[in-house]
Amino acid sequence: MQWIKNFILNNFSETFLVYIKLVYKYKRKCKSILKTIIFAIKALFKFYAPSKKFIKGKQIRKLFNKVNIKINDEDRFVYNLDIYKTIHRDNRMIENVTIDYSKVLKLSIKDFKDINSKLKDSEYKENQKELLLGIEEYIDRECKEIEKSNIVNKEAIISFLMNIKDKKAESFEESLQRILFFNQLLWQLGHGLNGLGRLDKILEEVYNNDKKNNKITRNEAIEMIKDMCKILHQNFWYKSNVLMGDTGQIIILGGKEKDGSYFCNELTYLFIEAIMELQIPDPKVFLRITKDVPRELMELSLKCIKTGIGCPLFSNDDVIIPKLISFGYDEEDAYNYVTSACWEPLMVGKSVEQNNIDSIVYIEPLYKMLEEENLEEITEYEELIEKYKKYLEEYIINYIEEINKIQWEETPLLSMLTDDCNTALKDVSIGGAKYNNYGLTAVSLSSVVNSLYNLKKFVFEEKKYTLNELNEIRKNNFKEEDEILRELKQQPNRFGTENDEIIDLSNMITGCVDKVLDSQKNIFGGKIKFGYSAPTYISKAERAEASFDGRKNGEPFGTHISSDKASVAYTELIQFATKLDYDNHRFNGNVIDFMITPSFIEDNFDKMIDFLILSISLGFFQMQMNVTSSDILIKAKNNPKDFENLIVRVWGFSAYFNDLPENYKNLLIERALKNEGKSI
Amino acid sequence: MKVRVSNIQRFSLHDGPGIRTTVFLKGCNLRCPWCANPENIDFEKTKFTNKTTKESGFFGQDIELMDLYSEIIKDKLYYKVNNGGVTFSGGEPLLQIKQLEPLLIKLKQEKINICIETALQVPTDFVKIAAKYIDEFIIDIKILDKDECKKVINGNIDLYFKNLDFLSKNDQINIFRIPLIEEYTLKKHNIEKIIDLLNKYKCKKVEIFKIHNLAESKYDSIGKEMIKFSEIESKKIEDVYNKIKALNVNVDIIKL
Repeated sequence: MQWIKNFILNNFSETFLVYIKLVYKYKRKCKSILKTIIFAIKALFKFYAPSKKFIKGKQIRKLFNKVNIKINDEDRFVYNLDIYKTIHRDNRMIENVTIDYSKVLKLSIKDFKDINSKLKDSEYKENQKELLLGIEEYIDRECKEIEKSNIVNKEAIISFLMNIKDKKAESFEESLQRILFFNQLLWQLGHGLNGLGRLDKILEEVYNNDKKNNKITRNEAIEMIKDMCKILHQNFWYKSNVLMGDTGQIIILGGKEKDGSYFCNELTYLFIEAIMELQIPDPKVFLRITKDVPRELMELSLKCIKTGIGCPLFSNDDVIIPKLISFGYDEEDAYNYVTSACWEPLMVGKSVEQNNIDSIVYIEPLYKMLEEENLEEITEYEELIEKYKKYLEEYIINYIEEINKIQWEETPLLSMLTDDCNTALKDVSIGGAKYNNYGLTAVSLSSVVNSLYNLKKFVFEEKKYTLNELNEIRKNNFKEEDEILRELKQQPNRFGTENDEIIDLSNMITGCVDKVLDSQKNIFGGKIKFGYSAPTYISKAERAEASFDGRKNGEPFGTHISSDKASVAYTELIQFATKLDYDNHRFNGNVIDFMITPSFIEDNFDKMIDFLILSISLGFFQMQMNVTSSDILIKAKNNPKDFENLIVRVWGFSAYFNDLPENYKNLLIERALKNEGKSI
Repeated sequence: MKVRVSNIQRFSLHDGPGIRTTVFLKGCNLRCPWCANPENIDFEKTKFTNKTTKESGFFGQDIELMDLYSEIIKDKLYYKVNNGGVTFSGGEPLLQIKQLEPLLIKLKQEKINICIETALQVPTDFVKIAAKYIDEFIIDIKILDKDECKKVINGNIDLYFKNLDFLSKNDQINIFRIPLIEEYTLKKHNIEKIIDLLNKYKCKKVEIFKIHNLAESKYDSIGKEMIKFSEIESKKIEDVYNKIKALNVNVDIIKL
């Protein structure tokens, strides 16, 4: 059996984990043990990864020659993904990346070959050479299969694919096919969470040409976009990372230009309309906005959001771009940012920065401090804060040390498409790109802020309890201490409210991390960024003890920038968020997260638009809305079959509600009830 | 100077133009059986206990005017579009108008749009004070028959019309708001009187709405029972809408 041979060759390597992950993903999809066992056996026979005795480029070429090509006669475009075949890996794969699709639309394989021929002889050069040959051979194999198929658009697709070899993409349809082709290569090579980039911007020229030459109408373009999205949505279960829906397939639209004007075009609208009509959770739209965003674009976006599909997410370029520039990105690159997976800004084509390596968990150093310090000796609040800061600093330093142990798997494809790798003859995995920074997400800031504030009030000011007493009660998960739990929970000055002390405390904590990161570098000598949002508010909380904010053992942390207080108005949360510091390293995704009911938007549509536009000028960083009602969610939980198509926003993506684990469903219901002012 | 407030609701979109902050003042002289804010009826602080969360406390706190002002201006940046601002509601907000006056002066100086949502069955002196500062009066039309008004809601219809006359002379009637309740306001003779009233007093807009049962948990928490009224057929609402529309008046069916 080929796989066993590979397996032995690869010495129980990481590749085996890919097989395990594949089986796990299948189980997550079908939810049946028996079906999963059958799948696992079938997959075992089909599983293939070229031996690592070859250089990476050769491995890729072998893989491309081995993948099973299946043409679906019903589709407009061809998109092939053989889930059983992958590339060997000893290290962590680079993920959360958006390649510069404008490059592959303009350059053919021949152009890349010409570039390659000028490189100094090296393994780097040889890898790319093999890769390019592999791509050509893959195109030939795909075209042969298309020839045999009954696909409607046969001749056009064959010419689109053959053109990849030696021509730039000429038409809108051809460009979409080419984007899909390179996207399929990324997935096939084991890169996950692949973004799609600024499609309205990079497709503008071909779309306008087609329109000028009467080759396309608005409606035809929408249909093509929909067909592209539907194809990207296929294998949704396989592409999903931690949870179903978490695919990173994000289309970036709009954006601020270097001259300060706002960029959007007809395609910006068409993409949103297409997504709105499709009503599938993936791919998703991410709209870059400024205070000059046209009102009608915001209206269309809100209409789309109102359908409940969870997008677009709004990203405020007026705030973000200056932070990117002051961090050290070139102006031109900063204005052209896309995202890694959900929302972390990424310099497209200039870096494959890993912006979602792991999450800082702010509460961990607090637990450690409570465990190791003699609490009876802490008599002043300021002393407590200083101690927490000390533990936090140590935590971050240790954390970076751990992160710096990660080695990345070599990737000739990403290196070929990323600036500076060719000049340095260095793969992106060893720091060949123009930018080589890392990004962290962060979770539980709200729990720590609320905890510290509560300790200040109840222990150090009101002296209702000693620190030791309250800590014992906390450690005992507030057992038979409902009154104290309620008191901690209901203390009104909390994360998300416009209380100056809360805001200062939040900024002080992130400032502490920021300062530590000033002196920290990653293995490439790059900087380390972090943000206020993280996907781990449930997973990292599951094993976390109770906290002084009134959170019991295992209860979820706050979701991104949100409030656990039911009565916090949207305007208050926005103004709170605008007072948070996003300077220096603190811009790696900072999303305000709202729960809102469809009827609220419906009944107040114009005022909601006013609110959004005013909020942009106030300077929020990013914002997403989860449009749903508790009634619907509760019904969906109880009768999943009646709500098969119900979509909700989870952390930075949309997902079918039915696909979510119970704890995610419960949290959404709880937040919806709070938002609607209903008791839980 | 202090006023007694039960709630300050930011990002309030229903009570006047633009984005607003609504201040709910304690105390009401009427006793409408359909009241949606039962916690604001008594001027005295009202004890509540949430039956689910066991949370307890009091509705109503005395707030210094400057503190109230600070709360109101927190969303000042949101008020600048479409005349957003502050709305005083209740209870009957005009009952505390004397105490509120210094705040109204300050808000006026800051050019913040001020609305008041009132049943207008209060001494005319109170209305006269308000008229100096209020940009938009949102006035309820409830039961217009004198005896019935007294009997059902403890109202004074003569005072109501006297106040309407005063505001009308100053062209200060902005919005009439009509709660539709099968058993009371929707009675044929009451609708006829409403039409007569709308014929007599010009306004910018009439808003009609079905009462809701969202206040049930509040009733529960203060130990009162919410009266359930008949569900109104859509056709009846449309009839009222059409009758008002026929007067050439701008009318909307709203959800509160």
